[in-house]
Amino acid sequence: MIHSTITGIERVSPTTVSIRFPWEAAVLPGQFIMVWIPGLGEIPISLSHIGDIKGITIKSFGPTSEALTKMKEGDRIFFRGPYGRPFTQVKGKILVVGGGSGMAGLLPLINSDTVGVVSARTKDELLFVDRFLEGNVIKVTDDGSAGIKGIAVDGLKGLDLQKFTKMYICGPELMLRSVYRYIREIDVDAEFSLERLMKCGIGVCDSCSIDGYQLCRDGPTFSKKQISGMHEFGAFKLTESGKRIALPK
Amino acid sequence: MSLLKTEVAGIYFENPLILASGILDENGYTMKKILQEGAAGVVTKSIGTVERTGYRPPIVAEVTGGLLNAVGLPNPGIDSFGEEIKVALEAGKPVIGSIFGGGVQEFVDLAIKMEGYGANAIELNLSCPHVKGVGSEVGSDPALVTDIVTEIKKRVKIPVFAKLSPNVTDMLEIAIAAEAADALVMINTVRGLAIDVYARKPVLSNTYGGLSGKAIKNIGLRYVYEVKMETGKEIIGVGGIENAEDAIEYIMAGSSAVQLGTVLYKKGRQAFAEISSGITQFMKSEGFGSIKEMVGAALP
Repeated sequence: MIHSTITGIERVSPTTVSIRFPWEAAVLPGQFIMVWIPGLGEIPISLSHIGDIKGITIKSFGPTSEALTKMKEGDRIFFRGPYGRPFTQVKGKILVVGGGSGMAGLLPLINSDTVGVVSARTKDELLFVDRFLEGNVIKVTDDGSAGIKGIAVDGLKGLDLQKFTKMYICGPELMLRSVYRYIREIDVDAEFSLERLMKCGIGVCDSCSIDGYQLCRDGPTFSKKQISGMHEFGAFKLTESGKRIALPK
Repeated sequence: MSLLKTEVAGIYFENPLILASGILDENGYTMKKILQEGAAGVVTKSIGTVERTGYRPPIVAEVTGGLLNAVGLPNPGIDSFGEEIKVALEAGKPVIGSIFGGGVQEFVDLAIKMEGYGANAIELNLSCPHVKGVGSEVGSDPALVTDIVTEIKKRVKIPVFAKLSPNVTDMLEIAIAAEAADALVMINTVRGLAIDVYARKPVLSNTYGGLSGKAIKNIGLRYVYEVKMETGKEIIGVGGIENAEDAIEYIMAGSSAVQLGTVLYKKGRQAFAEISSGITQFMKSEGFGSIKEMVGAALP
């Protein structure tokens, strides 16, 4: 395991924090680390900050992430990585589409020219909308408390997608599926960062696989073309035990 | 490719490289892809009677010479595994169903169901080093091993392979106890431990795990060699094979085929194609006309 000492905690929403720590490693947008809380558990988390002072941005959803959100400056953080295939970066105008915590993994891609569709359940959970220039961000909330009332794909409907060199999408699989279906017939290049239950992080346990690809090693980023050939995308996943279950249609 | 063909218990393999149990073999689509990318066969994740979630991560630690793992036998239970076998079989190559249990009847029931799903052979996990009451706890009792293997042989028509643990005083004794098996698979991982000194704690959530990779290759070779010499049984060698030369060492020690696992962490799925081509090259330059000629070539 690698360890570092936390130098900063930034609250980015009532439920979400960014944890910052020095780590001199070359990390590219889209890559992740396996973060370990000794005695509690280990979870994969995308790097939201990839400069010398690295960062992860997390919301509490289980015991390990819960413990992470309670960490303080000066605490030690244990992890291994970086893992995963990064996003392919391009010159030109890009569109990022983030659902909930999915915005964290997209943060390193954002520059002054980037356009964003940021979606969440409610206003308070919209992440990093302040990182876009005025007028470059479309907010979407399930409950309509900010921006468009609806789901991420509703934020795309007013945009001319073909003017973007590339789209990058990160969020829960059902959100990715709806975006994929919407852009399937549109002539725009896109990369998706997928989310599946991950255990080993190094391509051996098969827990996160989709259509024979290991998310932790061949992904988590996949091109629109790769996604188009997948039987399991948006259709099936394996649970913690390896039991195959169908995703809601 | 025909230079590389081999046979174990009458099952044809287009090359001697089989995917080891526990690695990339929970999802049928993954097994199918690995077969399409060069593996001659796959062994499934070990399947039991009921669903198990396995251990909480960390389930694996990267250590000197390989990996230490305690995944905890996650599996959906035999009744939910047929679909994965079906998808894997679409590759048109042998799929070996690995099973684990706590006693004779449980093993027999699992074997019958695996056969029903179309598995080409059964591999008995008598050697998982990190789950109580199954695996090596069963596999270190020679009388129980004999009973399990003998009963299953009576009840299924497909070949039965016994995967043995090195975590016993005398592996040869267990190999002899498994006499009724069509072939022996050896060795499973070696029980070990890793501590993070900065956390002052064991890394794996289960504390103990099984060591695999380069670090155990010479232990595996010794057992394959010794058991082949003493029993003459067909053996599938496994443990720390990372390149063609490692695979050939296992073959010359007496293995008719070998299994790859931990190397996939280093080289990815292409390990199969890469090692196959290395073996072909060696056979051509050293004048071997078949894998069979190399099996046990180093034995006295």
